[in-house]
Amino acid sequence: MLAPALALVLVFILVPIGIAGYLSLTDWDGFTPRPEFIGWENYRRIFDDEPLVQAAVVTLVIAVVGTLFANALGLGLALLVDGPGRFKAVARGALFYPYIIGAVIIGFLWSAILGSNGAVNSVLHALGGTGIPFLAEPTWAIISLVLVIIWANFGVTMVLYLAGLQTLPGELMEAALIDGANAWQTFWRVKFALLAPVVTINLVLTMISLLRTYELVLALTAGGPAGTTQTITYYILTISFANGKLGYGAAQAVLLMVVILVVTVALTAMRRRAERDVAA
Amino acid sequence: MTTTRRRFRVISATGLALTALLAASACGGESQDEADGKKTLRMLVNVTPALPVTFYEDLVAPFEQAHPGVDVKIEAPTAATGNVQETLTQQLAAGTEPDLLGGQTTAAEAKVMATLPNEPWVTDTPFAKELQIDSRQWTVGASFQAQSLVFYNKDAFQKAGIAAPPATVDEFTAVLKKIKQAGGYTPLETAGEWVTAAQFQQLANAVVMQNEPNWYSKRTKGEVTFANSDYKRYVEVYKSWIDDGLVSKNANGVKYNDSLVDFTSGKAATYVMGNWAVPTIDQAKPKFGVGVFAAPSFDGKPVPQVGGAGDLYSVLNSSKHKAEAFELVKYLVSDKAAVQKQLVAEGNFRTGFSYQASPLTQEVQKIVDAAPGAVVAGDGFGDNTAPSGWSAELTKILQKLYLGDSAEQAIAAMDKWWTGNAR
Repeated sequence: MLAPALALVLVFILVPIGIAGYLSLTDWDGFTPRPEFIGWENYRRIFDDEPLVQAAVVTLVIAVVGTLFANALGLGLALLVDGPGRFKAVARGALFYPYIIGAVIIGFLWSAILGSNGAVNSVLHALGGTGIPFLAEPTWAIISLVLVIIWANFGVTMVLYLAGLQTLPGELMEAALIDGANAWQTFWRVKFALLAPVVTINLVLTMISLLRTYELVLALTAGGPAGTTQTITYYILTISFANGKLGYGAAQAVLLMVVILVVTVALTAMRRRAERDVAA
Repeated sequence: MTTTRRRFRVISATGLALTALLAASACGGESQDEADGKKTLRMLVNVTPALPVTFYEDLVAPFEQAHPGVDVKIEAPTAATGNVQETLTQQLAAGTEPDLLGGQTTAAEAKVMATLPNEPWVTDTPFAKELQIDSRQWTVGASFQAQSLVFYNKDAFQKAGIAAPPATVDEFTAVLKKIKQAGGYTPLETAGEWVTAAQFQQLANAVVMQNEPNWYSKRTKGEVTFANSDYKRYVEVYKSWIDDGLVSKNANGVKYNDSLVDFTSGKAATYVMGNWAVPTIDQAKPKFGVGVFAAPSFDGKPVPQVGGAGDLYSVLNSSKHKAEAFELVKYLVSDKAAVQKQLVAEGNFRTGFSYQASPLTQEVQKIVDAAPGAVVAGDGFGDNTAPSGWSAELTKILQKLYLGDSAEQAIAAMDKWWTGNAR
C-alpha cells in the first residue's frame, strides 16, 4: 500500500532534489549539453553575492512580518465571524476570497491601485496632492508588498482558525464563564491555548509559503525599484533563466530548501513545546 | 530480507512505470502526430498586445494550407515573466523544447539552434550577416525595427514655444526645460520595468556606437569601458534630467502600458520608444498632433538607429521535422503576404516591401531612411552581444539614479557588472 506513495515521493520530490543538487555543483547555463563540474564553487559565491543577501533580507522581512500579521488578522477575523448567522456566513466567504485569486492577478490588481499612475495616486493628484511613491521608492515598495501579501494570505489562516474554533468543546467555555472569566481571559487562557496545534500549522504553512514568494513580486513590483523588492525565489529565477546561470541558481535553490527545512523544524519544535504546556 | 527486496522491487517497478507514463505523456504530441499522419511543428512565440497568439495562427494558416501534412502549433511563453527566452531555457531543461522559436534570442541560445542554409531567402533578410555567430546563421528576421525614436506632443511643443525638434542632446535638454517651465506636461515620460534600460539604450547606444559599432564585443574583450566612453556622458545627462525634474521622480513605479497611456492621453510631452509603439499610438487616436524625431547626438550629426532585425525565427537542433521547420521559416521571412502582415502588426520596415502606413509610420520611415545605419539594442546580437542579463542589470543601475545614486556610481556599477559577467 505504501509503494505508490513512495514512488510518487521518489519521482516528484527526491529525484528533482537530487538533480538540483547535482546541477548546483556545475556551471550549467541551460544550453550546454554537458555542464562542467565545478565542485562547491557556486556555494562559495553565494555569500559574496550582494544582491542575494539583499534578497534574503527582503524575504526574511516578508516571511516574518507577513506570517505574524496574516495570522493575527486571520485569527482576529475568525473570532469575529465564527458562529451562526447569515452576515457571518457572507463575511466568511468574502474574507476568504483574496486567497482564491491567483497571485499574479492580485499583483496586477494592486499595481493598478498603488502604481504611480494608479487609482490612489490619481485621486490624490485630482485633489491637488503630490502622490505617494507606493511602488517607486524602496521603503514604500516593501511596505506595499508586505501589506498586499498579508491581504492575499489572511483568508486561508482565517479559515483554518475557524475550523479550529469550531472543534473546541463548548463545555470548556461554559466552565470558564461559570468560573467568572472575562472575554479576554476566555480567549487567551481557553480558546487560544486549545488552538495551539492550529496555530502551529498556520505559522508553519504561512512561513513556508512566504519564504517562496515570487509571483506577487513579479506582478506588483517586478523586483523594483532598482531590485530592492527582489525575494530569494525571484532572484533565483532571474539568475537561472534570464542570466543563464542555472548551476548557480540551483545552488541557491538547494540552500533555500535547507533554510526552509530548518525554519520549519525549528518552528514546529517551538510550537510543540507550547502545545505540550497546554496539555499539561 | 525477502520482504524488503520485494518491497524494493515494487517501489522500483512503480517508479519506472510512472516515469514511463510521464515520458509517454511528454511525447503525446508526437503520438497524435503519427496517428493523424501529420507532422506537428511546435513554435514558441513572443506574445505582446500587438502580436497575440491569434496573430501567429492567422500568419501560419496559409502555410498549413499549402502543406497539408504539416500542422503548426503556436505556443505562448509559459514562464511567469512571459519571456520567450526563459520559457525556452525551462523547456530545454525539461526536454520539452519546441521545433521553432519566434522572438529575440541570445548568443547562449545559438548553441541549440540549427544552422540555416546559405540561400537567398536567408541571406537577403535584414541584418542577416550581423545576426551570425562565428559565421553561423542561426536566426533570421522578417523585418527591421527602429528604436532611437522620440515621439512628441506637438501641442506641448507649441505651448512651450519650441519651433523645431532638437538635434543635439543639449538642445533636447533645453527643450525639456522649456516644457517644464511652460507647465502642464511631464517633459519626458520614463517608466519602471524594462523600460528604464530600454529608453536609455535607445538614446545612448545610438551615440556610443556611432563610432564603435561593435562596442559590446570590445567591452567584453576589455578594449573599452563605460567610464571612458560616451555612456558616461549620457548617464550624467540622464542624472541631470532626474535632478532637474524633467522626468517623474516616481517613474520607477510606472508600467510600460501606463507610460504609453501617459503619452497618448496628453500627460507627457515626449516619449522615447521603438517603432512598435506606433500602432498603439495610432489606435489611441490622441487629441493632439504626434510628431517623431531621431535620437539626438552630442555633435548634432545624425546617429544610427538602435534596432535591428525584427520578427526573428530560429529552428532548434533537436527538432525531428527540421526540413519542414526550415520551410516554415522560409515562408515567414520571404512570403510577400506573410512579411507584410508582420510589418503592419508592429509598424516595422523592410526594403522592397510596402504597406498602407499611417502618417506617423511614414515619418518614422523617413528617419530610418536618413539614419546612417543601425546599431544593436538591448543585449545585442550576433558576435556583438552583452553578457546574459545585461538589460536587467542596467535597469537596476539606472533606477538607482532615481533613488539617489550618482552618475559615477552608476558607471562604476556598469563596468563592475560587465567585467564580472563577461565570458
